[in-house]
Amino acid sequence: MSLIKVKDLYKIYQMGNTEVRALDGVSVTIEKNEYVSIMGPSGSGKSTLMNLLGCLDTPTSGEFFMDGINVATMGDDELAHIRNKKIGFVFQTFNLLPKSTSLRNVELPLIYNGEIKAHERRDMAIKALTRVNLGDRVSHKPNELSGGQRQRVAVARALVNNPAIILADEPTGNLDSKTGEEIMVLFDELHKQGNTIILVTHEEHIAAHASRVVRLLDGKIAVDEATNRGKP
Amino acid sequence: MKSFFWENLRIALSELWSHKTRSILTGTGIVIGIIAVSLMSTLINGVDGLFEESMKFLGRGNLYIEKWPWFGDEDWWTLRNRPRIELDMADEIKERSEYAMVVAAERGRSANLSYKDLSAENIYIHGVTSNYPEVSTVDVEFGRFFTESEDRTGAQVVLLGSEVAKTLFPQGNPVDKMIFAGSKRFRVIGVLAEMGKFMGAFSNDTQVIIPLATFNKIFHGPWGRRSITVKVPEHLVEEAKEELRGVVRVLRGLKPEEKDNFAINQQNAFRQTYQGIKLAIGGTGMIITALSLLVGGIGIANIMFVSVKERTREIGVRKALGATRSQIQGQFLIEAMVITASGGLVGLIISTVISMAISKFLFPATMSFGVAFMAIALSAAVGLFAGLAPARKGAKLDPIEALRYE
Repeated sequence: MSLIKVKDLYKIYQMGNTEVRALDGVSVTIEKNEYVSIMGPSGSGKSTLMNLLGCLDTPTSGEFFMDGINVATMGDDELAHIRNKKIGFVFQTFNLLPKSTSLRNVELPLIYNGEIKAHERRDMAIKALTRVNLGDRVSHKPNELSGGQRQRVAVARALVNNPAIILADEPTGNLDSKTGEEIMVLFDELHKQGNTIILVTHEEHIAAHASRVVRLLDGKIAVDEATNRGKP
Repeated sequence: MKSFFWENLRIALSELWSHKTRSILTGTGIVIGIIAVSLMSTLINGVDGLFEESMKFLGRGNLYIEKWPWFGDEDWWTLRNRPRIELDMADEIKERSEYAMVVAAERGRSANLSYKDLSAENIYIHGVTSNYPEVSTVDVEFGRFFTESEDRTGAQVVLLGSEVAKTLFPQGNPVDKMIFAGSKRFRVIGVLAEMGKFMGAFSNDTQVIIPLATFNKIFHGPWGRRSITVKVPEHLVEEAKEELRGVVRVLRGLKPEEKDNFAINQQNAFRQTYQGIKLAIGGTGMIITALSLLVGGIGIANIMFVSVKERTREIGVRKALGATRSQIQGQFLIEAMVITASGGLVGLIISTVISMAISKFLFPATMSFGVAFMAIALSAAVGLFAGLAPARKGAKLDPIEALRYE
């Protein structure tokens, strides 16, 4: 069974009298432990696809199965549960809670899980922070950390609930190239450890870390091929 | 769900802590509202207690035949010109009335008392019949009350109110000592037990009691209070009052078309007047209180809308990480309720202190557990109502737009 199975996905917005087809019949399948980048110029529909894959939005029509579950027709709260259990987000702007420590930020998905006891949450969060080499920064607040460290806290937060996919939207966009490269090395490692990673980016050298690249144009998939890295 | 409550409480506390000034200012509205509501209830309870305490002095089954009505809006001159109450009517009333169980008569005026070089000025001299203890709450602590024959013969004996006894006899037993009322010598035969004040103002302990006949013998002239107290069965007070009215009219020889030229007073008159005043004060208080809580609640709602707006991005992050609508809604509701409940608590503490001060200096007014509970529940409820709209607004945000919000 494929991890993600998308078939004939449409997302159509009504802007006044004109109809905008943000996604115009997209079909894609992603297997477990794949490392995929999604590329495309702005307006190509890559953000829309990312929002749909991240279960932040529902399609106008089409099929979308994640881990065998049909998420295309789910309501708000069901989607929230899917996001909580299956998806780990990494955003361009980190999106950490500024007043909370690294530990609290990383604990957040576990809190909304609702079934994990406080001391377990703490242990799991510390473990995730250790995996991104921030075991010594648990009680720092975001403003006491560098950009790279902040993004690593965000990665730890994405990892902590053992999601089916890690969805990273321009994860290096707010970092200098050296720090960005460090973050990409971290993603490579996570991939090696068995995680499924979807990268949304417009930078070729970032996309090159993945083993497969999906290029969007005008709401359609233009290219879906293995990268050099992914070629046998 | 329990874990979300603690989580939300934690978020609320840290959020409020990071906006201390704003939280305090917002909470102040509630503090004022809660002070108003709890103080108002406490004061009304206190006055109620005081009233009931005072009502004991006026037996429920007592009817007082007097010149002046206790309450009412009759013309002052008409009342002024009424004949004074003839106290010797008492025997006739006792004979004619079927309801009357005891009929006592009394007069009163003030005079100065002295014992050796000690004196007590402006003491209320109460001339009463020997059956007076049956229609009042006077209680003899030392010595005895006077007898019927002492009353009939006009014996110069006196019972001292507890305050008077303390003033004239700071040490030692007053019984059998001779005191002066003006130029007349009286033998002290008893001391009354302490009775307290009527309505918190008129002390019943600064009076002395002498036989009515003695009073009549010594004090001439029209001045002073005159009253005939008729004790009737409590449950028949209204019927007895009608009967008594007839009896007095006959005794006074009033023609059918003539109006009553006397008043029959009873505890009920106090009660009705008091209830009216209490309702007016309580009603006004309720409106003021409701308004202040409403204003406080609007302040909370306003600040919560600001808070939701400011934290749009945070809401987006929380939603992306799996927070449901009800969890977000709960977070903001609890935040609003924490502000109002803490405001309520502070208000409660302040009004407890104020009511302690009132108790000490004015009259007994203690904050009851019920009032305290109501104040806290009310303030939490204000938070709930004020927080509802902002919390719903936050909960309904679209995560994608919220994440993009700058």
